[in-house]
Amino acid sequence: MGTNSAIVVNHVSKSYGDFRAVDDLSFEVFRGQIFAMLGPNGAGKSTTIRMILDIIKPDTGTITILGGALNDQTKDRLGYLPEERGLYRNVKVVEMLAYLGTLKGLSNRDAQKRAMTLLEELDLAERAKSKVSELSKGNQQKVQFAATMLHEPDVLILDEPTTGLDPVNTLVIKDLIVRMKERGSAVIMSTHQMWQVEEMADRLVMINKGKQALYGTVDEVRQQYALHAIIVKGEGDWARLPGVIRVEENARTGTFLYMDKATTSNQILAAIAADSRMTIDRFELAVPSLNDIFIQVAGEHLPEDYVQQTQEKELVYE
Amino acid sequence: MNKIWLILKREYLTNLKKPTFLFSAFGTPVLVIAVFVLAIAIATSGDTMDDLKQVGTIDNAGVLDAEVRSADYPDLFVAYESEEAARAALDAETLDAYVVIPESYIATGQVQLYSYDGVPSDLEDVIDDLLIANLSTQVNTDIPTARLIDPANATIRLADSGRELTPESLPALILMPIIFVVIFMIAMQISGTFVMSGLVEEKTNRLIEVLVTTVTPMQLLTGKIIGLGLLGLTQISIWIGMIIVVIALGQDIPLLSGLVIPVDMLVYSVIYFILGYFLIASLLSVVAVIVNSEAESRQYAAIVSLVFVIPVYLTAVFLNDANGPIPTVLSIFPFTSPTSMIMRVGFVSVPLWQMGLSIALLLLTTLFFMWASAKIFRWGLLMYGKKPSLRELIAVIQGNPYKYSQPQTETPTKKEVRAS
Repeated sequence: MGTNSAIVVNHVSKSYGDFRAVDDLSFEVFRGQIFAMLGPNGAGKSTTIRMILDIIKPDTGTITILGGALNDQTKDRLGYLPEERGLYRNVKVVEMLAYLGTLKGLSNRDAQKRAMTLLEELDLAERAKSKVSELSKGNQQKVQFAATMLHEPDVLILDEPTTGLDPVNTLVIKDLIVRMKERGSAVIMSTHQMWQVEEMADRLVMINKGKQALYGTVDEVRQQYALHAIIVKGEGDWARLPGVIRVEENARTGTFLYMDKATTSNQILAAIAADSRMTIDRFELAVPSLNDIFIQVAGEHLPEDYVQQTQEKELVYE
Repeated sequence: MNKIWLILKREYLTNLKKPTFLFSAFGTPVLVIAVFVLAIAIATSGDTMDDLKQVGTIDNAGVLDAEVRSADYPDLFVAYESEEAARAALDAETLDAYVVIPESYIATGQVQLYSYDGVPSDLEDVIDDLLIANLSTQVNTDIPTARLIDPANATIRLADSGRELTPESLPALILMPIIFVVIFMIAMQISGTFVMSGLVEEKTNRLIEVLVTTVTPMQLLTGKIIGLGLLGLTQISIWIGMIIVVIALGQDIPLLSGLVIPVDMLVYSVIYFILGYFLIASLLSVVAVIVNSEAESRQYAAIVSLVFVIPVYLTAVFLNDANGPIPTVLSIFPFTSPTSMIMRVGFVSVPLWQMGLSIALLLLTTLFFMWASAKIFRWGLLMYGKKPSLRELIAVIQGNPYKYSQPQTETPTKKEVRAS
C-alpha cells in the first residue's frame, strides 16, 4: 500500500441474497493516475463503485478513501459521474452547477465563478443562463461533467464518461480528465471503450463475475496475454527463419511467426534483415489489444449475437 | 447541518417560484374571494322591501284591524274586499302582491301570497309581524308587542371554548373551521406533493446518485421536508393574511362582519399541520422512491390524500354533532385527525383528554412513519425497475432488505458491450 494511494479496496465482497455481486475483490488506485475499471455488464462494476461511494456497504472487506472511511469531509473531495445522466431540468445551467458546488463545500461566489470558467472551457458560456432542458443531450452531458469536477475533487469516479458524445466533445472531456490526473487527482473510469483505456489509463482492473480477472498497468496486462509470436507482412519463406516453430497465415492481419522459447523478436528481425530474399512491410509483436483480452476473458458472458460475431472473425491481433 | 440548510434553502426558493405554488398561494384565495363577493352580490341583487309599493290584503278571517299597521312599513298594506278586486289591482300593477287570509286561518295559520314576480324573502317576516301585531290586540295582556314578536335575544356562550354564539357570529363559527381545514389541508397536500415530485424527478433522472454521494440520504430528506414545510407555512400565512385583510375591509358586509380568526384554532391548526405534514411527507417520500414515474407517484399520492380528506366530505356530520361518535373517532385516528380535530375545535369544545390522545397518537404515528420511511428511503433510492411488494417493504423496515429480492443495480444493454 503506497502513500500515494487514494483508494484501497481490500478483499471486498457483497451479496444480494444468494447472488454474489462482488467476490473478494481487491485493488488500489493511485493519485495522479487514471485507473480503468473494465468488465462486462453485470460483472459487479456498479456495485463496486457504489461501495466505494458508500451508497451500499460491503458484507466483508474494507474500503479506504483518502486515508480512511468515507465521511462528510472526504465526500466533498469526491466527484462522481453516474452512468445514467440527469440534471434538474427547469433550472438555469449556472444555478444548477452552483448548487451542486455549494453542496460540495464551495462558497456560492466561488461555485458561480468556477462554473463560468468551466462552461467557457466547454464552449457553453453563452448557455449559462439557459435552462438545462433547453440544451442538447450532448451539452447536458458536458454540463454534468462540469458538475462532477467543479470542486476539483481529489477522487474522480466516472462511469462511462464519454458515451454518447461526438468525437470533438469526447476530446474536450478527455482533456479535462487528463488535466485532473495531472493536477494529482485519482481518476477511476469505468468504460467499455478499450481504445480509451489504452490511450488514457495508467492502470486497470477487469472484473468478471464479481472477481478480479485482470489487474495491473495496461502494458502488464497486455504482456500477460501476449503470444510469443511476431506478425509480419512481406515476402519470404518465413518457416526457414531460425527459431520459428510455426507459421500461420491470416489474410487480414498478416503472417504469424511463432517462436521457440529461446528466440527473441530482435533475433528474428536481424535474421530477416540479413536475408536478401526476404522483404518486410510490417513487423510487430503479437500483443493482443485490450479489446481482444476483454472478449477472451468475458466472452462467455457476452450476449449471444456478440459472441457469434466475434467467433466468426476469430481473435484478431494488432 | 450546513448541507441540510443548503438543501432546505434550494427546495424552498425553487418551489416558491413554481407556477403551481404561486397559483395556489395567490390565485386560489383570490378566486375564492371573487366567488364569495359574486355570491354576495347575487344574493343582495334581488328585490328588497324598498322595491315594494303596495301589497293587498284580503281578510276572510277577520283578524286585521285597520288601525293596527305594520310597524316597519305602515303604508305598505292596503285592504281589499275580494280576491277578484285584488287580482285586478295586481294585473293593473297597482299592487306588487296580495295576501289572502282564509277563514280557516285561526285554526291553520295558513295564508296565501300571490304575485307575478318573486317577492323579497323579507315580505313573509313583515306579514308575520303584521299578523302578530293584530292578533296581540285581541289578547288581554300588558306585555308589549315587541316582546311577543321577539321574546328572546340570546347570547349563547359555548362552555369551555368561550366562543360566543350570536346570530352574527354563527356564519363565522361554521365558516371559519371549514376555511381553516381547507387552507391547512391544501398547504399540507401541496408541500407533501412537492417533496414527492422533487424526489421522483431526482430519482428518474438519476441525479439522486450524485446527491447521495454528496450528502447523506437523511440530510437530503430532512432538508427537503423542512424546506417544503416552511413553504407550506408561507402559503398558510399568505392565506390567513388575506383573510384578515378581507375581514378588515368587509366589516360592512353582514356575512363577514361576524368573522374573527379564533386564536386557539389557529394554534391547534399549526400543531396539526406540522404533525400531519410530516406524516404526509414521510409517506409520499416512500412513494417517491418505490415508484418509477411521476404519473405512477400521483396515483399513490391521490390515495394518501384521500384518507386525509375524508373528514371534509363528512362536514355535515361534524356540523350536526361534532362531539358525536364519528367525529370523535375520526379526530383521534391519526390519519384523519389533522382535518377532523380542526373542525371539531371550531364547532364545539373538545374534551382535553381527546385532544391529548389525538395529538399523542398522531405524533407517534408520524414518528413511526418517519423512521420507517427513512429506512425504505435509503434502500429504495437506487432501486430501479420492479416495484417492491408490501412484504418486501416490511422486510426492509425490519432491516433485512434482501430477504425476498435482489436489487437490479445494473441495466444490461447490448449496445454498451460492443467495444470500439
